[in-house]
Amino acid sequence: MRKLVCLVTKDLVSEWRMPRLWPAMALVGLVVAASLTLPLEVLPEQKRQLGPALLWVAILLAAMLAVERSFASEREEGAWEAVRMYPVGMGTVYLAKLLSNALAVAGLEALLFPLFSALTDLPVAAHPGGLVAVAVLGNLAITSLGTLLGALVLGLRHLPGASALLVLPAGVPVVLAAAEATRLAAEPLLAQAFWRWVQYLGVFAAVFIAAGIVLVDFAVEE
Amino acid sequence: MHQPGETPGNGDGGLPTKAWDGTTAPAEPPPLEAIGLGRRFGTRWVLWGLDFSAPAGQCVAIIGANGSGKTTLLRCLAGLLRPHAGQVRWFGHLAGKVELRGRMGFVGHESGLYAQLSVLENLRFAARMYGVSDPAGRAEQLAAQAGLAAYAHCRVAQLSQGMRQRAALARALVHSPRVVLWDEPFVGLDTQATDWLAGQLEALRRRGCTLCFSTHELHRAWQLADRVLALSAGRLQPASPPDASPHQEGAGVPQATSPPQGLVKRLAAAGCRVAGRAA
Amino acid sequence: MAGYSRVATVGLVHLLAGALALAAVIAIFFVAPTEKTMGPVQKILYLHAAVAWFALGACLLMGVAALGYLATRRPAWDHWSCAAAETGWLAATLTLITGSLWAHAAWNTWWTWDPRLTTVFLLWALYSAGLLIRQTVPDAERAARLSAVLALVALVDLPLIFLATRWFRGMHPVAPAMPPVMRAVLGLAAAGFGIVFLLLLVERRAQLAAAHRLDRLEWETSDGEPDRGLCRSLGRNRVVCGAPGGAPTPAPAAH
Repeated sequence: MRKLVCLVTKDLVSEWRMPRLWPAMALVGLVVAASLTLPLEVLPEQKRQLGPALLWVAILLAAMLAVERSFASEREEGAWEAVRMYPVGMGTVYLAKLLSNALAVAGLEALLFPLFSALTDLPVAAHPGGLVAVAVLGNLAITSLGTLLGALVLGLRHLPGASALLVLPAGVPVVLAAAEATRLAAEPLLAQAFWRWVQYLGVFAAVFIAAGIVLVDFAVEE
Repeated sequence: MHQPGETPGNGDGGLPTKAWDGTTAPAEPPPLEAIGLGRRFGTRWVLWGLDFSAPAGQCVAIIGANGSGKTTLLRCLAGLLRPHAGQVRWFGHLAGKVELRGRMGFVGHESGLYAQLSVLENLRFAARMYGVSDPAGRAEQLAAQAGLAAYAHCRVAQLSQGMRQRAALARALVHSPRVVLWDEPFVGLDTQATDWLAGQLEALRRRGCTLCFSTHELHRAWQLADRVLALSAGRLQPASPPDASPHQEGAGVPQATSPPQGLVKRLAAAGCRVAGRAA
Repeated sequence: MAGYSRVATVGLVHLLAGALALAAVIAIFFVAPTEKTMGPVQKILYLHAAVAWFALGACLLMGVAALGYLATRRPAWDHWSCAAAETGWLAATLTLITGSLWAHAAWNTWWTWDPRLTTVFLLWALYSAGLLIRQTVPDAERAARLSAVLALVALVDLPLIFLATRWFRGMHPVAPAMPPVMRAVLGLAAAGFGIVFLLLLVERRAQLAAAHRLDRLEWETSDGEPDRGLCRSLGRNRVVCGAPGGAPTPAPAAH
């Protein structure tokens, strides 16, 4: 646990001192939000229906930047070799990267949720607890999958756009589930279906966290 | 850097303080061993059937031409590359085991440090990852010993190449490893830094640490190492000292000869079809 | 003699598979009744369902073989995984095309983001990504390992995709009611076309295994440095290397 905290702290401090990822994620999220919601101005009735889906597409696209940087940032100055020599399992390194990515995506969500609420008239305050649950579990679902695929992308230098090729098709179920759950959380009454989607996101996150811990060793091996 | 009698944070029991004298019979498996090691890139075998053993406290230098596989060999010995044939063993166990990494130190071509963290922060991070009991104290001690006390709070990105090498060595020794693998330690250093580094390696050698490093500098190799091996055709062979060979250029590196007909004839006699060569 | 009987057996299996597929085609056009709303176009369903099931089955095989490869690092597992990926990709492509044709007849649109079609499309995208990895990564072993990890991600993701689509309301029929004759023809088509694809998979695996054996011979008989040039393969996993002037000493088995 101490080593996990150590790794996460190191990532956060490095990013804080030389912000590269967080501003890029914020900018991509904002630009995507603007690009997707601009055409909705001619469809005022559909804005609220479409808002949640567009929100989670923007989160997924911006989260891909975090996915790409997850393990690639260790390659600078040969730090990756040093990490592989530490007496710490690759599963712990994966969890540390997952947490770092999740914190970055959480910041992004804090920015985009109010923005989409304003742009699409989505009432995010209807069920704040439910919305937080969707945000947290959707975040973990995206980052657990994305961090594992980020480890895979480390070995795919010859394939341009590798992270998009891998993350987008595998992450679409998360977008569907999170969008549905967000839409239902904005309704006056929380339907039974809302909890089913929240459970789905939880299961997705749990499955891919387990898969990540097991498979990351194979993904980063040389 | 490691004080005799000091117990490292990983509870390893400290380094032996006596350098290898070449006569002591090993009571335990060698700290570093390769058996029939093979590693290929695509269809090209860079290492093949390589056998190597370094007893505790020995310093081994590996020399070879560019592209001979020195970096590949050291990375295989460090457990960073998976062998395609044979095995690498640490203290009798398969290399790469998480529990044994605390006994190993590796410094590659790059420093292994985080550019946006200071020297002290990097050393503290490494100390924590290795489970050293007093990470902050150990980091300060190593920074002072590496002559980086004045730069301890500077970010690594602001350091010169020589200082990064010092910081890299300090990071590799933060947990007082019993084995240190170093890939071309003298590259890109000025005379002062080179002399300092040579002094550090000599100090480690005297304290009983098993050292294995690669270098192009033949005189440094013979000066520092107990044994100098040349890597050629994917295998290690003892190198001859530069003065003993009539050919100074490439001295110490055995030259490949034309096809050994004796083996070709033996293979043919055993019934193997040897393509392109008449037995 | 053993080789001849093997060739004869393989030929017989191929003939039987072809006959079964032909029987399926005949049954589709002459036995299965014509659906009264859609007419003859409805018969695309028999091919569509068969290739869709094969695409899913191939994904399962790809994942299981990938697991075997990562656990044992034996190339034979990777050959199965690669063959399943390639034939699965083909089956998924045919599923999308035939589904599109059926959709145009049934719903008057060439494509709809119906959950089932979306699922198959995502599966196709994951197959494509896996094949791209194999194409672009120059080192074969690294490509095999990375493809295996992706295959396992796909295998884990597939039930989650399926679950999400089940909960979504969509236009795609879910186990529609069918008269017994149609069910029987559907079963025959699944068997016939399924066996054809299975044979394709098996043959592709054999091709990959043969290519791997050729590669090994190339490694072991390479004329680089004299020492390496003298290593010869004397068996499945044993390589003997000799030092000049010394007796040959066996080297550990290559992976």
